[in-house]
Amino acid sequence: MNMGRLLSDVYWVFWREMKRFFLQRSRLVMAVVQPVVWLVLMGNSMSGLTRNPIAARMLGTGNYLDFMVPGVMIMTALFGGVFGGTSVLWDRRLGFLNKMLTAPIYRAAIPLGKLLSLMVQSWFQVIIIVVIAVILGVHFVTGLPGVLFMLLLASLFGVIMGGISLSLASMLKSIEALHAIMNFLTLPLMFTSNAMFPTRAMPVWLRRIADVNPLSYAVAPMRTVAMKGWIWQDLWVGLVALTFLAAVSTAVAIRQFHRSIA
Amino acid sequence: MSAMIEAEGLTKTFPGGVTAVDGVTFTVEEGEIFGFLGPNGAGKSTTIAMLTTLMKPTGGNARVAGMSIIRQAYQVRLAIGYVSQDLAVDDNLTGYENLRLQAGFYHIPRAEVERRITEVLEMVELSDRANDLVETYSGGMRKRLDIACGLIHRPRLLFLDEPTLGLDIQTRREIWQYIQHLRDDIKMTIFLTTHYMDEADALCDRIAIIDYGRIKVMDTPSRLKSTLGDELVEFRFATGTEEEIAAAVETIRRQGFVTDVREAGERGYVAVVTNGETAIPRIFDAIAGMPAHIGAITHKRPSLDDVFLHYTGHEMRENGGSRDEAMRSRMIMRRARG
Repeated sequence: MNMGRLLSDVYWVFWREMKRFFLQRSRLVMAVVQPVVWLVLMGNSMSGLTRNPIAARMLGTGNYLDFMVPGVMIMTALFGGVFGGTSVLWDRRLGFLNKMLTAPIYRAAIPLGKLLSLMVQSWFQVIIIVVIAVILGVHFVTGLPGVLFMLLLASLFGVIMGGISLSLASMLKSIEALHAIMNFLTLPLMFTSNAMFPTRAMPVWLRRIADVNPLSYAVAPMRTVAMKGWIWQDLWVGLVALTFLAAVSTAVAIRQFHRSIA
Repeated sequence: MSAMIEAEGLTKTFPGGVTAVDGVTFTVEEGEIFGFLGPNGAGKSTTIAMLTTLMKPTGGNARVAGMSIIRQAYQVRLAIGYVSQDLAVDDNLTGYENLRLQAGFYHIPRAEVERRITEVLEMVELSDRANDLVETYSGGMRKRLDIACGLIHRPRLLFLDEPTLGLDIQTRREIWQYIQHLRDDIKMTIFLTTHYMDEADALCDRIAIIDYGRIKVMDTPSRLKSTLGDELVEFRFATGTEEEIAAAVETIRRQGFVTDVREAGERGYVAVVTNGETAIPRIFDAIAGMPAHIGAITHKRPSLDDVFLHYTGHEMRENGGSRDEAMRSRMIMRRARG
């Protein structure tokens, strides 16, 4: 394998996806509007909770927004990732996939370039959320390094979901079926995690699920960094778990893609 | 001259058991325009998919530009250009960006890229629209851009799958001119598929007629037409029972100037004759006393349609493909109209 050529191939697939991303104004607008809606509406309606001292202790903060921001970041990465497989299916339907496959490029560059673009797109979205959150008065205790750490975790999570989406896309070969399955996955994944509600406020059975939900693995360390500081014994588990899952998800996506074009 | 494509018993059987291409053997010489002519579903696109390394054959092999499509897929990809019937340009990029992307995929050196892009844009006459989004292009412009994409790495061999599908007459003629230019001035070898007879006739040095996955006949268009005799007489019976018509046809068949008579539709027949001028009165003379009467008769020179009918036993059919295929062709049409 020629590393330079592989990187060049990945770069051009990535370049195309990013061009498309910035062209689609509606997607960019939604990237801003969605977190605003979540933070302003949801944040406000839930802020009554924090006036209850028990709830405040469960949340670990007197400001619900502080608690919620990492959850919104992950949700954005989640939504970006789950529909990542769609682009391969459109390429297939419009014949662009065949065009890439007759070119002398590494096959793996196609899923890799698409996943890389999902990762970078989630950075943009997380940065937008950070800006909105700061405007709304959220304080990140670890400052810029903490924000970069959250960026990394959120994008790793985006890659995990993107890899699953690409794998399913390769197997199903139907945009409609992919959307149905991913929609079915998204909401339960979100509500059985610690993204919106502290696990300590959950019934035991739900807490059990939340504890193994990969979304919780991403949110917990982000929340620690945002609200408490660099407490590494709380951070490394999430970081290792997400890195591992992202690698596995990428490998499976490449493998499934190879199979689907054989 | 050396062979640019050598296919040996190329076969593709799909997992469902359908054999789309069934033991196809042919050779394409360097510098010629070779056409695969056949109806939709005859196996043309599947053959192209194998030759362009998109699909592995289940039997046989082929050498493209001297390399095996099975063991040297990467080298084959470097040597060929492929323009699919899908109008596979990215609507969300500009014309220039589509070409830049393609140049990236083919690892064209940075110093070369701009010159190559300018060159192909000029060839397909899109220089002034290069920085517009492809979304705003007409179907013909998209096709031209797609062809430009297939040329950016200066391939020795270009595959064109149904290059004028869904395009209007004027655009079709433009595309034909580009194809002729590529062969005449750049000495490129071109393999194209089409289900338009006139296209095969106008462009191809040699054609292979393919039907149900098999090559029925292969030759130059003019020789194919002349195998049908110089001229044809088409006639239709107005009266007569089946037996009476059969007897009349038999009588016509036995005439010295008639080389063959074939059925062509309800009560209709085509006679291959040596002298068309006098054939019509002589046919009437031959069956003058018989109960079956001819109601309509015309004299014409053979076209590739007649060649196709002669070798396949049926006319080019529009057959119903799968739902997926129907949707695909609808989308191609929509994009072609721009």
